[in-house]
Amino acid sequence: MNIIQELFGKSPFGPLVEHTKKVHECVEMIRPLMEALVNEDYDEIRRLQDQVSKLEYEADTIKHNVRDHLPRRYFMPVDRVDLEGFISSQDNIADKAEDFAVILTLRKTKLHPAIMDKFFDFVDQIFQVTGTLLTAAVELSNLAEASFSGAEAKVVLSLLKGLNEEEWKADRKARSLSKDVYALEKELDPITIIFYEKMILTLGAIANEAENAGDMLRTMILK
Amino acid sequence: MDILILALMVLLGLYMAWNIGANDVANSMADAVGSGALSVKQAVIAAGICEFAGAVLVGSHVTDTIRKGIVDPSALASMPGMLEGEPAALLVIGMSAALLSAAIWLNFATWTGMPVSTTHSIVGAIAGFGIVAAGIGSVNWGKMGQIVASWFISPFVGGLIAFIIFKIISKMILGQAQPAKAAIKVTPYIVFFLAIVVTLATIYKGFKHVLKGIDWLTDTHTLLIAVVISVISTSISRIHVKRKLGDKGALPLAQQLELVEEVYVPLVIISSCAVAFAHGANDVANSVGPLAAVANILKTGTVEMKVPVPLWILVLGGCGIVLGLSTYGYRVMATVGTKITEITPTRGVAADIAATATVLICTRMKLPVSTTHTLVGAIMGIGLARGLAGIDSRIAKKIFKSWLITVPAAAIVCIILFLLGRAYLLDYVRQLVLAARVS
Repeated sequence: MNIIQELFGKSPFGPLVEHTKKVHECVEMIRPLMEALVNEDYDEIRRLQDQVSKLEYEADTIKHNVRDHLPRRYFMPVDRVDLEGFISSQDNIADKAEDFAVILTLRKTKLHPAIMDKFFDFVDQIFQVTGTLLTAAVELSNLAEASFSGAEAKVVLSLLKGLNEEEWKADRKARSLSKDVYALEKELDPITIIFYEKMILTLGAIANEAENAGDMLRTMILK
Repeated sequence: MDILILALMVLLGLYMAWNIGANDVANSMADAVGSGALSVKQAVIAAGICEFAGAVLVGSHVTDTIRKGIVDPSALASMPGMLEGEPAALLVIGMSAALLSAAIWLNFATWTGMPVSTTHSIVGAIAGFGIVAAGIGSVNWGKMGQIVASWFISPFVGGLIAFIIFKIISKMILGQAQPAKAAIKVTPYIVFFLAIVVTLATIYKGFKHVLKGIDWLTDTHTLLIAVVISVISTSISRIHVKRKLGDKGALPLAQQLELVEEVYVPLVIISSCAVAFAHGANDVANSVGPLAAVANILKTGTVEMKVPVPLWILVLGGCGIVLGLSTYGYRVMATVGTKITEITPTRGVAADIAATATVLICTRMKLPVSTTHTLVGAIMGIGLARGLAGIDSRIAKKIFKSWLITVPAAAIVCIILFLLGRAYLLDYVRQLVLAARVS
């Protein structure tokens, strides 16, 4: 084996961006799931749940691939701990998206018209959060190109600042949506309320994890 | 000189140089191939030309250090109970044994995947010969310590220079809001530095040897020439960069970064060629140097303090390198090219300038260093500057191990070969030496 050739490990950033994209595909399934719920099309929900599971599995495969690129003996332009934290947060996002799909298959629940608009607004906000994360993460290869400094780093850092803001908005929307759900306690049976609450918590967890991933990305850049 | 002896020596020199061409040469071009500036085929051709030129036009500094600096030939002559012509004969056998053992060790190391340096092997082998032939005291341990220290220092210095150059490139060009605009401003300075290093390396390592009679080529004049050439190339680069990037300031960041890298393509080709040139000069002189001593003794029958390196030996070295490159080295080049796609032209230029400058400095200080190890140090320096995605730090450990093992191993092989040679060939070689004295 040639020494110079051995010196170079594979870059983890390519597969990392791929992982982020795949995770985002999982999140993209949430809206169709909600629409199916509104239409009370439970077969469609089952079909979509299968699809999310498949995507989550694919994301896992990529994740393992990334980890294969990170043996301890590599030294990298970013901290390994941050990188692994980023991957694991991304992984949690995909898991939560799958959880959400599974929850919808557990019980034939109807979405109450009174909370429908707010619920969709909340879902869109979650999508906004993960979308911002995706935009920031896609810049990773450019960042590596510019050695994690300067203008390119500033672009990503400002994106990440936006991510925090969006997450905060998502939190507020979750709280207000929960209040609305409990306001319906006279009309709805308790199981349905628990069910709604479970949906909201799972979606909120996605936003939280996206924020965590963003924080990891920030410390990677500021190393 | 006996035709058989001559043929044996040619074979020995070729074997040694073949080893270099087969294994080492791909490294000197790694940055140009890895960054995609040259195709594998182009790199093989460029490497062949530059290594050959470097080998043939080489300066004799380093060769001297190895032959005289490590082992004192007069220590052999002053030993008691020597027959007439015996010290010279021992030196012939010893140097041949050193060359052969270094080549064998190199071959073995390559086969087992150890990143061993040609230069280090030959140093160890000659030390081994000195210990057995004239006693431990004949080896200049102070010089030996200096040489060994330079092995640690050269990758470190290479790494440091590369770190600084890449930090400058990344801060002042790649990290700017408008990299294209910044590149127009900063690139000429980098070209200036590159040109200074390359011309100094070329003059010091090359033309000084060929143009020996020219007295006006003093250090001041050399520096002056280098500055003039650098100013000219800087002006050319300014025009070229401006034409390429002049109106590109408004493009998206990623696109600008790409264009900036494109501007560095010619630079990485030039700087890689400089590394190949320095490598050819450095490693060939180091390795076929002992052959010059052997040839001289067999021709004159005496041991002189200073032996000129005949051109034919350098040509032989150059041919061996090209042969090694074309029979085996191109395959190494191809795998290197596909494996290190991480490196970009800007990174390649930084690493190459650092490696060339370091080898140049060490040569000026008459210290034989490994070009490859210096280049590895330089690339790691860029990794530390956050310029590369994944650098395998295991290599540092491997190189360190190879340092520890190469000198004793090459010494032991050389001792065995020398003892065998002394037992069976001494009388024969002594006759040759005496015959040379008569004629």
